[in-house]
Amino acid sequence: MNSFWIHIIHQAVFGGIASAGFGILFNCPPRIIIHCIGSGAMALAIRTGCQSANLNLPESAFFAALGVATAARVLQPFQETRGSIIALVGTIPMVPGSTAAKGLTNLFALLQARPGDEIAAATNGMRNLLEVTLTLAAIGTALAIPQSIYPEASPKAKPLRQKSSSP
Amino acid sequence: MPSDGTEESRVQRSCAGPPGPPLSDVAHLSLSIGRLFMEFGESARIVHEEIFALAHCLGCDSAEVYCQHAAIIVTLRRGEEFCVQMGKVGEHGVNLRGSEAVSDIARRVSRGDLEYSQAQTELDNIPRTTSFYPVWLVCLCTGLACSAFGRLLGADWLSFFPVLVASGVGQWIRRTMLVRKKNLFITTGIVSFVSAFLAGAGARLSGSSHLEIATVSAVLLLVPGVAVLNIQTDVIEGKPNLSAARGLRVIYILLFMTLGLVAAQALILRAI
Repeated sequence: MNSFWIHIIHQAVFGGIASAGFGILFNCPPRIIIHCIGSGAMALAIRTGCQSANLNLPESAFFAALGVATAARVLQPFQETRGSIIALVGTIPMVPGSTAAKGLTNLFALLQARPGDEIAAATNGMRNLLEVTLTLAAIGTALAIPQSIYPEASPKAKPLRQKSSSP
Repeated sequence: MPSDGTEESRVQRSCAGPPGPPLSDVAHLSLSIGRLFMEFGESARIVHEEIFALAHCLGCDSAEVYCQHAAIIVTLRRGEEFCVQMGKVGEHGVNLRGSEAVSDIARRVSRGDLEYSQAQTELDNIPRTTSFYPVWLVCLCTGLACSAFGRLLGADWLSFFPVLVASGVGQWIRRTMLVRKKNLFITTGIVSFVSAFLAGAGARLSGSSHLEIATVSAVLLLVPGVAVLNIQTDVIEGKPNLSAARGLRVIYILLFMTLGLVAAQALILRAI
């Protein structure tokens, strides 16, 4: 097995672990934690694959979120929980929190920058924050696409029981 | 679709039973459902859809919902009658089991399996009846998630355990402070500082060379991921006011998180 696949598997495993951890933190029902692991692993595997194909972070996150949201929507008839929950928890590991922190840290560094270093500090900070904004927009848009094209029905709705108005 | 969260009822869920409950009771039930959904971290679309379906099934001709960050306004019409009610929304969090319980109640009312008065009682009891994972398990899993983030960001194995412990401790502090109704932003700053400091110090003691990644990974439990994704969903679906309010809150959380992180990094990284 070459290093490419080892890297994909590594990212998928830890993406799954991160999703499961956040699933517990968000008080997900126990029966869907395994689905959260699967969706997190899938998201990170697709994102890593796309990044290996020289796509940038927002593009890769878009395709990963679209893949997870589509899978959750397609598999919706076979599960009780809303697919959007599973897709949401699966994409949480792709939210670029560390890049946002780095961007804000760079902006703080701007306050202490020596003359001549300000432009570099400002550029780094703005680049990080732009990347965060675009990545979040990409994830949010991708999550909304399957829902917009084919809205989710009530999960496993029972046949309607008509009440008689007469005694 | 009109912007800013107002939307006419168009969702038509087939429903059972004759119309009957007083309009004010239907409005109160709708507000309870909307409030709980908002507090449990759902997007405005879910709130609107469930309220429309419920109001339709309880005999209303039309429903309008105005969903804001701190309040919901519901207007219902049935024949010549109409009713407007406003309800306050509490602290926004994420509770997917609670959200599922609210959905279940709304569906049972729509199908005619549950009387509206019983539904109101069940909704009022949800904060007490929803089960949660044990605190130790939540802390452990949060720590594990942050350690996994560390690996995804390229941290070495030596920093895995320190990040796990630091994030677990951070989650415990966050929970303890929020249960005591402490300010969310101050809590965020404190948790960020403690988690980053513990992770950095632990990683340093264990000989890791990725102290910066370790400190950043340990505070990622504070990133409001669900709120961030709801911002996107709400903007795309035409609720810019709600989205802007959510966004401002997220920016402040990230700002306080970064302040704590920068303070901890100044102590840890400067000491090298």
